[in-house]
Amino acid sequence: MKRKVRWIAIGLFSLITGLTRAQENLIPEDSIGFRDFLILQNEIPGVSYRFQIKEKLISDRLLTDSLYLFSKTDSGFLSKLFSDFGQIRQIEMSLLNDSLQYKLHYLVFSEVSSVAATREYLSNRIQSGDLLVQFEDVAPSDDLVSLASYVPYLPMQRFKLRFISDYKLFIVTGVISFFLIIATSMIVAMIFMKAKINKVEKLRKDYDRLIIDPLTSLLFEKEKEEIELMKFDDIYQYFPEEMLAKPLYKDVLIDRIIGLNKKMKGDFKEKLKAIFKKLSLDKISLISLSSSEWDKVAMGLVQINEMDLVEALPKVKVHANSSNFHIRSQAVATLLNLSEKVDLTFLRDQTFPLSLWQQMNYLRIIRFVRHQKDLKLQILFDSKNPSIRIFGYKLVSVLGRVDLIEHLAARSGEVSDEEKIEILEVYSTLGAHMEVGFINDCLKSENAELSMAAAKAAGSIGDSVSADILVGLIAVETDFRRKHGFLKSLYDLDRDRFELATSTNPETETIEIRKHILDPMLQHV
Amino acid sequence: MYSFLFFLILEILGLIFLILSFSVILIYLILMILSALEMRDYLRKNRFADYGDIITSPIAPGVSILAPAYNEGQNIVQNAQSLLSLHYGKFEVILINDGSKDDTLEKLIHFFELEKTNYAYNPEIETKPVRGVYRSKNMSFRRLTVIDKENGGKADALNTGINIAELEILACIDVDCILSSDSISRMVRPFMEETNRKVIAVGGVIGIANNCDVQDGTVTTYRIPESLLGRFQVIEYFRAFLMGRMAWSRINGLMLISGAFGFFRKDLVRKVGGYFPKTVGEDMELIVRMRRYMEEQKIPHKVGFVPDPLCWTEVPESEEILSKQRNRWMRGTIETLQLHQVLRLNPKYGILGMISYPFWSIFEKSAPILESVGVLYTLVLLVTGDFSAVYFFALLVMMYLLSLLVSSFSVLYEQIAFNNYKDKKDLRKLIWMIIIEPFVIHPKIVLWGLQGHFDFIKGKGGWGSMIRTGFKKAEDKKNLTPQSTS
Amino acid sequence: MNWILFFDAIFKLGSPPHMKKILIIEDDLLISSLVQFRLKKDGYETHLVCDGNEGIKAIDELKPDLIITDVMMPFRSGIEIIHYAKQTQPDIPIIVLSSLGEEEQVVLEAFNLGVADFIPKPFNPNELAIRVKRVLK
Repeated sequence: MKRKVRWIAIGLFSLITGLTRAQENLIPEDSIGFRDFLILQNEIPGVSYRFQIKEKLISDRLLTDSLYLFSKTDSGFLSKLFSDFGQIRQIEMSLLNDSLQYKLHYLVFSEVSSVAATREYLSNRIQSGDLLVQFEDVAPSDDLVSLASYVPYLPMQRFKLRFISDYKLFIVTGVISFFLIIATSMIVAMIFMKAKINKVEKLRKDYDRLIIDPLTSLLFEKEKEEIELMKFDDIYQYFPEEMLAKPLYKDVLIDRIIGLNKKMKGDFKEKLKAIFKKLSLDKISLISLSSSEWDKVAMGLVQINEMDLVEALPKVKVHANSSNFHIRSQAVATLLNLSEKVDLTFLRDQTFPLSLWQQMNYLRIIRFVRHQKDLKLQILFDSKNPSIRIFGYKLVSVLGRVDLIEHLAARSGEVSDEEKIEILEVYSTLGAHMEVGFINDCLKSENAELSMAAAKAAGSIGDSVSADILVGLIAVETDFRRKHGFLKSLYDLDRDRFELATSTNPETETIEIRKHILDPMLQHV
Repeated sequence: MYSFLFFLILEILGLIFLILSFSVILIYLILMILSALEMRDYLRKNRFADYGDIITSPIAPGVSILAPAYNEGQNIVQNAQSLLSLHYGKFEVILINDGSKDDTLEKLIHFFELEKTNYAYNPEIETKPVRGVYRSKNMSFRRLTVIDKENGGKADALNTGINIAELEILACIDVDCILSSDSISRMVRPFMEETNRKVIAVGGVIGIANNCDVQDGTVTTYRIPESLLGRFQVIEYFRAFLMGRMAWSRINGLMLISGAFGFFRKDLVRKVGGYFPKTVGEDMELIVRMRRYMEEQKIPHKVGFVPDPLCWTEVPESEEILSKQRNRWMRGTIETLQLHQVLRLNPKYGILGMISYPFWSIFEKSAPILESVGVLYTLVLLVTGDFSAVYFFALLVMMYLLSLLVSSFSVLYEQIAFNNYKDKKDLRKLIWMIIIEPFVIHPKIVLWGLQGHFDFIKGKGGWGSMIRTGFKKAEDKKNLTPQSTS
Repeated sequence: MNWILFFDAIFKLGSPPHMKKILIIEDDLLISSLVQFRLKKDGYETHLVCDGNEGIKAIDELKPDLIITDVMMPFRSGIEIIHYAKQTQPDIPIIVLSSLGEEEQVVLEAFNLGVADFIPKPFNPNELAIRVKRVLK
């Protein structure tokens, strides 16, 4: 509330000061302008004027004129005081007619004042708010000079104010027009896009319906060889020529064949591939490989992969180390899938870190092709890229390649801790009892994560030495989580040693962990 | 002399507002463009995603779902069941009963045949005491763990869950959220796509379930809510999720992912000490602290965002509850920004310090203040009859147009990307909402935001002083003992 | 939809009694029309529906001799359909056609509910036809 009052006060204050600042400048400084200003005001309290005739003699008519009531003084004749400035011109008229030499005096409170003094008095009155200034637009006369004298300083002052306002005006109009242009173009673009998407969607649906029947009947009526021998005219009976000329129709056709191929088995897959080639859709896939848009390239790679377009492999290889994540992934997947004999060197030479997503996809393909092709996984162990090496180790355990354990053993000594952790996992999943020495070495490691991983491995394939080390570790370990882990491993490895280490231990922490480990409800996670 | 000073102040204020309005417009236009680009890329990317694989692959990371529950007895069993039936290979569900005063725990024990275990609870992140950890002997419920603890608020409950979680990824969710069955595999994907930059957290979109049909954990028919407040929130959520977060994720500047549906890397959450229970904006604070930690350790990182509609929740349609929520959000924002004021315009913190932080402090935190002062300023100008009042009035009109543009853009977005609200009538209602929102609802939101500021100032003292000085380093939170000063 | 079913019912009166009715619930129209094409060749009467809700409606109104269903579908999962069919008409044999692996939890659940056969995708329509014949024998 207080704040509001203050705001209103400030507002009123500014109203007054603002007005005065502007009106002080309204009083012209030159005598003619000043006179005209006074004329406009008619009567001003406290201000009056009189005429003085400097001649020695004046006519009797003038002397007796009741309008002037001239009285003689040393310096000539003085008229009475007039207070209505509006009448100056009229009063002056007969003086002018007699072509007399006269002078106009201004008086403030009956004291003769100079123009400047009168002006100052007036502006003070105006500033104090006692006087309300009147003025009207003076109609332009034909005389340019007098016109200029009518409007002397006032526009200059106003122009200065205007300039600041105009500056703002400039910015605001700029902002508004910029905004409106961008906004309309954005909305128009979006609506346009939406309309286009809707149209394409609708067409796609239509084409989809058109494709289902011919594709189904073609798949059931013809054998693979028959499809391969089909003439164009035969094909056009299924898929009309004018439709095949439309890129979107072909696009839908490709999508459909690819989609179906994923879900079909046996001779149907072969037939779909034959149709794909017969319709020259493979050319589209090949062209899209050199597109500048990554999604088109990736889509082309998917098509090559699904349709077994082996002849495109050299082109695919170019993309294997692409900087685009998706192109790279699809290219590697295609190479893994289609290469006659899978040479993993291209994977080994990848420079980008291998994400889990890629690992998952490659793993699926490798799992699928390993029965037909001989995989030399050990190539991956030589990669300069640590993520590829780790993927190699993972493959050993997922594919159960016990034969590669000696390769791992040969290098396990000098690899980084991160890789050691992975190798330990391989050993424990494959049950590599002969490598227990390595596990025991790792158990003693300073690296907390490594020793924890080793403890886990020791839990399943450790020996009595591991148990000794574990007991030692448990005795000095202060971290709860790690202690828990070590005790769990010891429990898995050797129940008697576990009993020995925990049943008599008075520490509440150990007692709690023991209870936890022995609780059957917490065994399976 | 006085009048000169006064005019100077007026001029400066005017200039400030001009610059502000200009930057608001510019920033929103940039946000719109960025989000459009990000959305386009995301839709393209989705064509190559085969989510079926994630469920069975041995390489996919495990997910611990943490769901705190306080007095949820009515629906808790149903909610827990739907969480357990999510499609994913390696996951566990941890329900944390945060000292409910109703029968939440009893219902769970009864339905899932739970028994108290000898779990050795280790409060690595300090929490209120745990009364018991329950599991079921029934193999169908083997994924479920229920923690019973003393009441300590949402952040404290989540911290308890974080201490117990076994798997690599934490999914912190509100127990009453409806999750689509493939939500985990979709949210895990950004973590799996990590190459050069560590993915520390992933946020998702929250949809509004009011008035919609839900079946099998998925919203089948979308309908906009009946109340104005509900409809307003539909638009607001579009704006926040489809535009705001999309754009921020493009420049990797996300500072907030929704507390109702967020995924985090567990080791990192533990490293920074989990949620900070003394702030009401614990979800934002955690993300900021995690990012700050990564910046201080100089590890390249990102916060991911998945725009697919995967999670729905009922939003409050009553003014009373909504005002409390907004008040809390505002206080949470202020507190988080205060706690991490070191970030402010600090080039050491990259985009986080130079762009996200200033944006949040000007456009989210101070927005209600600036807006109300701006409107007042224009009113004063109008009253004083100042010439420039016209311009400021024009600026106000333009702000209104901007809000129209941004809102309609986000509705268009939704239509292009997901097209969930199919009924033409609903669309018309939404458009009407867009037009009246700045007059009908927005002033209330501003008011609630101002109240948030006021409550924040009132609440100073004790922990307030801690919040005023802020954390010296991201890990500072770990050195605090939550019980000491409360 | 109801009209179609209504006409189906009328046609049923006239159709030869030996013609077995098969309900195919599958969201991919191309797959289902392929299956339909193949089964028609063997002389079955086939009905296609695209989602779970329609599937449940069709089970009630059509009383098919065999149901072929997908697992992952819009609105209602195949499991729900199997549940429903086994509750209301336990004698109808069900064949599950799914891209999920056989070791998958959902598929195991389907087996538990007593489905007659499980065909994983990718599949061969000819193989499907043989299995249908065996189940209907």
